[in-house]
Amino acid sequence: MAWPDAAEQHRCYEPSRKDRGIGQDRLTAMGPMTGEPINEQEALARLRQSDDPSMQYYGAWWLGRNRSRHPESVPLLIAALQQRRPRDPGAGIEENAVARNAARALGKLAPAALAAVPELLAALGDPDDGLREAAARALGDLGATEAVAPICARLAGGPAEAGARQDGCPRLVEPCEALLEALGDIGVAEPDVLTVIEPFTRHDWPLIRSAAARALLQLSGEPRWAEPLLALLGDSQLQVRRAALMDLGAAGWRPAVDAISTTLAENSLKLIALRGLIENGSGEPGDDALLAAMDALL
Amino acid sequence: MSVQPLISAVESASSALELLHATAALARSADAAAAPTLVEVLGFNNPGAAVAAVDGLVAIGSPAVEPLLQLDPRNYGARAWAVRALAGIGDVRGLDLLIEALLTDVGPSVRRAAAKGLGNLQLAALTVGERAAIAQRCLDALVGAVSDGEWVVRYAVVVGLEGLALGCGWSQDHPGHGHICTGLAQLGDPSCEEASVVRLRAALALQRLQPS
Repeated sequence: MAWPDAAEQHRCYEPSRKDRGIGQDRLTAMGPMTGEPINEQEALARLRQSDDPSMQYYGAWWLGRNRSRHPESVPLLIAALQQRRPRDPGAGIEENAVARNAARALGKLAPAALAAVPELLAALGDPDDGLREAAARALGDLGATEAVAPICARLAGGPAEAGARQDGCPRLVEPCEALLEALGDIGVAEPDVLTVIEPFTRHDWPLIRSAAARALLQLSGEPRWAEPLLALLGDSQLQVRRAALMDLGAAGWRPAVDAISTTLAENSLKLIALRGLIENGSGEPGDDALLAAMDALL
Repeated sequence: MSVQPLISAVESASSALELLHATAALARSADAAAAPTLVEVLGFNNPGAAVAAVDGLVAIGSPAVEPLLQLDPRNYGARAWAVRALAGIGDVRGLDLLIEALLTDVGPSVRRAAAKGLGNLQLAALTVGERAAIAQRCLDALVGAVSDGEWVVRYAVVVGLEGLALGCGWSQDHPGHGHICTGLAQLGDPSCEEASVVRLRAALALQRLQPS
């Protein structure tokens, strides 16, 4: 059986989450694996069994994607979050694939998934940095203020430690992008949180600088943190321009509307960014001007 | 200046970047003779060049429609770009392809373009009877897509419904106008529509169509 999500196949170098909105055209109404739509009962049954991890993986994805409100969903996902399984390069399976997908799904199931915060906090201390990444994003999605202190502790070493490259692999010691974004999403704007984030605006990797500037812009609202993001919209790499688009949208930075509209990237991503300006931002330019900018990109 | 050298430059381009520049130059000519070559570029799997070609085809307008409709339906990538071009041109000969794309295409960005295009058809030159029949088909397709799984497609459906209402000449008491407003009301209702940006756009469309 084919592994569900091509984006999750084994690779040392994972794409930024911001890249995942693209190329998923085919994953929408139908499942990515079976070619046939399944229902909630079937998704729960697939997650409940444990003989076939790829079925569990798909079940977890389905429950998150469809914002399941079934009372069994969160308990089953919490149980799946405990599953540990080594990476299987031959089958193209990432380490702890089911646990990672369970974390991602829990992030989409607020408020019921608030019950999973203790387990997600535990996953934030897992040796698998990919699972830490998924847990951080979920805690950010859930706005879990309990996660701020442990996330700050993970980032406290700054770019030279938390942000250093792992040996033999183009990944960082900590999943910095996810941790920084989670701090911005959770929204605790204490001075010591800002102090932890700030050094990452000078990280070597533009995607990390983008995530740090986004979090600082979200937390402080200071225009100076929009400037690096606007500059990254003109980066020579498409991947970086996409990330800056998503970050300006997440921060709801409305003065960026024209810069977003003229960025060299897919209109799909610009539309997501402009939606973010409308839904996450306030002030000028007003809603009507932003809607007109969206209409022009359809 | 003759368009032939520009066509030759596209045909002889030997790199992706060269193709992009040559296509952009040909597109700027907006010459009807460029249409078949620009349509061919849609199938080259070069997104930058395809964007330029779509711009050129939209600028050419009606003469570009026939070559676009003759694309091989099995060439999915090229067809997706053709939907974007036909949506921009607004020629009613593209109606069947736009409807099919909105209701069946797997790509949200293709459905999005088709929805906008169905609100952008040029109906003014048609007879009253033709216009009514085409507007009804546009309306049925757009209303059929108000529950699309992707927010951006539903957003484009709002824009398409608004464009249709403004372009088809139905009076406020025409049943079609009522159906458009019903569809927009559904897209503006928090119990049906989860994306607040879609609800906001639907409210703006209703305000424009039903001035109080």
